[in-house]
Amino acid sequence: MTPPPDTAATMMRPAPALRDSQANIDLLRVMDGISLKYLMLLATTVGFMLLAGGTWVYQVYKGLGIAGYAHPVFWGAYIVTFVFWVGIAHAGTLISAILYLFRAKWRNAINRSAEAMTVFAVLTAAQFLGIHVGRLWKSYFILPYPNQRGLWVNFKSPLLWDTFAIGTYATISIVFFAIGLIPDIAIARDRATGWRKVVYTVLACGWQGSSKQWKAHSRTTLHLSGLATPLVLSVHSVVSWDFAMSIVPGWHATIFGPYFVAGAIFSGFAMVLTVMIPVRRIYGLEAYITDYHLENMSRFLLLTSIIVGYAYLSEYFISWYSAVEFEQTHFWMRAFGPYWFSTWCMLGFNGILPQLLWFKQLRTNIWFLFILSIFINIGMWFERYVIIIEGLSFEHDPAAWGLYTPSWAEMAIVAGSFGFFGTLFLIFLKLFPVVAIAEVKELEIHQRSHEGGTH
Amino acid sequence: MPTLVSVFDRPQDIVSAVKRLRNRGFTDLETYSPAPFAEIDDAMIEKPSRVRAFTLVGGLAGVTTGYTITIWMANNWQIMLGGKPFSSIPPYTIIAFELTILFGGLMTALGLFIVGKLGRKRDPEYSPRFSAEEFGLVVRCQDRDVAEIEALVRDNHATEVELVGA
Repeated sequence: MTPPPDTAATMMRPAPALRDSQANIDLLRVMDGISLKYLMLLATTVGFMLLAGGTWVYQVYKGLGIAGYAHPVFWGAYIVTFVFWVGIAHAGTLISAILYLFRAKWRNAINRSAEAMTVFAVLTAAQFLGIHVGRLWKSYFILPYPNQRGLWVNFKSPLLWDTFAIGTYATISIVFFAIGLIPDIAIARDRATGWRKVVYTVLACGWQGSSKQWKAHSRTTLHLSGLATPLVLSVHSVVSWDFAMSIVPGWHATIFGPYFVAGAIFSGFAMVLTVMIPVRRIYGLEAYITDYHLENMSRFLLLTSIIVGYAYLSEYFISWYSAVEFEQTHFWMRAFGPYWFSTWCMLGFNGILPQLLWFKQLRTNIWFLFILSIFINIGMWFERYVIIIEGLSFEHDPAAWGLYTPSWAEMAIVAGSFGFFGTLFLIFLKLFPVVAIAEVKELEIHQRSHEGGTH
Repeated sequence: MPTLVSVFDRPQDIVSAVKRLRNRGFTDLETYSPAPFAEIDDAMIEKPSRVRAFTLVGGLAGVTTGYTITIWMANNWQIMLGGKPFSSIPPYTIIAFELTILFGGLMTALGLFIVGKLGRKRDPEYSPRFSAEEFGLVVRCQDRDVAEIEALVRDNHATEVELVGA
């Protein structure tokens, strides 16, 4: 081969020092160093997790008798918390998939953390199925596997639909999360040293941002969004059918699908605010997760609160209008029966309190949003409590009524589920970029290259 | 074979460089960008991504599996439930729907790995600066074309041009 002609290009210059982007520096910094406060927080969440784990082991040993089940209420706090966490899991996919299809660019700042919360919330929720069945070692009976008895599962049961819906949702949200992470892991790989370099090199799967890779990646994101959008709407509908397909008063309602989906999105956005407001403050991410993003999220809260509040009211209207005595009794007992406290928490925190978000001063007040989001989390837990426990407590025949109080074991496991979720999120903060860096840069570079360009 | 690595600051510059190079008949190109820019990918690859075929196949496999396993299993050992037919389409549609999404999603992810050629070693021309905020363009060409290509990319505001692998 002939030597290349002598051009300016052949004069090899020393490589200039890496001119890194500000987004890389700011957002990768979150992963650096572990402060004492972080460790204390992690110790707290791990402590709750161990409390729940220990209680669970004890429950497996003793049996479900240590839960507060009392005739006729045999779905208790575990199912309540299962539905709660599945609901929390809805914000991530809504932000990543639906807002992606709507080309709402403001989602770029929050989609990563919301997707992470989705994955962790589904993992938390899925455990409650195992906790609830009691005989954990038989929970695989729910899967259609060939067995010596020649029996198959009952595909007409809503509980089985639920298994398929939750299983699919967990898988697809993990896939979505992982695929979104690949370009950002590559960014981290190029800047990491030591063991992190090795781990990120493997996880980045040789990502180099070539046109072939980006083209496939964009198309994959689009298709996954298209698949995840009907999925996210179906999952909580299927969860609601666990109730709506029965003939229990207060459960047997066609409104349950949209009612549960709106509630799920409502609670999910509240949880994203509860988690992201402190993270934004502690790691100084105000330039990336701006007040504008938080205000947009609060608008979503307001919208979904109105839908949920409307569902609450229409439930009352329909029970009155139906002239069915059992329905009417159920809803009377909700508001004025022994569980009145839960009902008024649900109505107040989910339906009435968020109406304050009509005021712009409150929408842009970060402290207010943070406190409101916590109240909404509590209210949404009570919503599931009201629906599940009261439905079972006051079924048709008053002679068969009975009250339920959660036992210490159930409360410990419910508290521990927050510890599990928190632990996973804290570990995530230190391992992966908490904001989708590549997508933030996409907006930045677009802006920069159209300001005073020579084109 | 000489390989020219040029660096750009703005996506529109690399797009016009790619278009002009392709017009001149240089097709052995590769770009590296720090963020997704559809205009660069479209300038490089005109055809829509083949990932779509994976999604379609996965989705069809899912819907078929969903209806097949439910109907077959319900009839393999018939148990009458609520007086409903053994092959009840409405409840099985839920299973078929979930499996459509499950298989479709997993196949889409597989499509990304196959079409995007993930899981391989990075190119030697790749540099960490392309995961910062600069764009890279790699041209493999004949020795006689080096000068022309260099002039062309510089004309399109390349900030640096480097010749590697002579």
